[in-house]
Amino acid sequence: MKNYKKYFLIFDKNADLHYLDSGATTLKPKMVLEKMMEYYTEYSANIHRGLYPISEKATEEYENTRQKVADFIGAKYPGEIVFTSGTTDSLNLAAAGWAKRNLKAGDEVMVTIAEHHSNFVPWQQLALKNNFKFVVSGEVTKKTKLLAINHVSNVLGTVTPIKSIIKKAREISPEICVVVDGAQAVGHMPVDMVDLDADFYAFSGHKMYGPTGVGVLYGKAKRWLEMEPTRFGGGMIKTVSTTESTWADGPEKFEAGTPPIAEVIGLGATIDFIKEIGRENIVKHEKELTDYLIEKINKIEWLKIMGLGISSGRLGVVSMYSEAPGMGTSHDMADILGREFNVCVRAGHHCAMPLHTQFGVETGTVRVSLGIYNTKEDVDELIKGLEKVWMTFIKK
Amino acid sequence: MDDLYKEIILEHYQNPDHMGKIEGAIEAGEANMTCGDSLKIYAKVENGVIIDAKFEGGGCAISMAAVDMLLDNVIGKKLTEVKKMSGVEIEKMMGVELTPSRKKCAYLGLEVLKKLG
Repeated sequence: MKNYKKYFLIFDKNADLHYLDSGATTLKPKMVLEKMMEYYTEYSANIHRGLYPISEKATEEYENTRQKVADFIGAKYPGEIVFTSGTTDSLNLAAAGWAKRNLKAGDEVMVTIAEHHSNFVPWQQLALKNNFKFVVSGEVTKKTKLLAINHVSNVLGTVTPIKSIIKKAREISPEICVVVDGAQAVGHMPVDMVDLDADFYAFSGHKMYGPTGVGVLYGKAKRWLEMEPTRFGGGMIKTVSTTESTWADGPEKFEAGTPPIAEVIGLGATIDFIKEIGRENIVKHEKELTDYLIEKINKIEWLKIMGLGISSGRLGVVSMYSEAPGMGTSHDMADILGREFNVCVRAGHHCAMPLHTQFGVETGTVRVSLGIYNTKEDVDELIKGLEKVWMTFIKK
Repeated sequence: MDDLYKEIILEHYQNPDHMGKIEGAIEAGEANMTCGDSLKIYAKVENGVIIDAKFEGGGCAISMAAVDMLLDNVIGKKLTEVKKMSGVEIEKMMGVELTPSRKKCAYLGLEVLKKLG
């Protein structure tokens, strides 16, 4: 099994780090950091309308990334890519910019029980304020005008068959707008917008080995035309008079203010990194590790995997819990793993409380989520740590 | 590494002395949903002094052990004095130094006690 740790500087200073929290944020490869450093040291200017060389260069790098992102996710046009601050920002833009304007009272907005709060709460609140009907994991009917759904669950790791879901949903409700949360998918599997046929697709840079503070909202060209900007200011206007303003035509319309320039340019380098490693190699590496992880976890009698404890149809995100009495909660488990083994996992509800309630696991789960830098040794250390958890709590 | 999960803490967590309910006592509660901790404390107070206290709830080992140790400590003391206690005293009582994220767990019991009355 190949070791990709050498691409990540953090291991130079933390050789024994077992980072298993990529679902929260991934580590950043050296080439992404170098690209951001290049911007700050060689052409650190604001973009657009700077009539001097370093601003032209910054603009070119920024807009090149838009093209790179479009190519990377199989969008038809770079104009379908709007840069945001992250998935949450992207989903809020889809809700406030598209849904608020295009849905009417009584229309049905549907989410699934397995959504991250960022693809749940914006729709719930939008529905409450505008008298839309909010449905959780129901059946799509003609009245369903919007469906918000994850591509990969951030708790269960399940890959949702969104292509067939979208196809079916359109047969029942032809005008339905489908918004996909792709935060857990984009860095770990190939995605193709034309093939999936989603109306909107949201993801973050920092969960795909890129910088924090930058995300993407892909939208079909026609959907962007149906939208109004939700944030106003510099960069997004065509004309401004004392009485009215008009908006820029392209994606700039939705990128008010100075964008996270270094982060966007860094995101471009992230795509270069993924291409250098090879998407098929990422899939293969993570699949092998996921199989190994699930096999090991399933051998631990006192632990249960939330959802299906099988390795097909999923990515390397596994949440687990113990029902044995006196074994503490996910916080105790994660504390021992972190403190004593430098195994970094997440404890709690992972921003998916409705899902944990559904499964009856109110005290939360310990989530392990894999990245390209992980090795079997990381999983072995996790298992060693879990044995220590058992030894700590077992009644003497 | 300090031993957060040392025997005395585990003992209070797994075999608490003050788990239960007191009928007709004053009570207060708090739920820390993001942690999955929930806690209710019952206290019998006479002439301003806590003469008995019990708790119900569930949560991580640290929050549950802390509340059990805290109730051990406050029975026999004046409620007004107890309300002046600080988090540092909880750590002293437990004999451990807590990280910021675990302080939230350990201080839950004290937060609820402060709501009493």
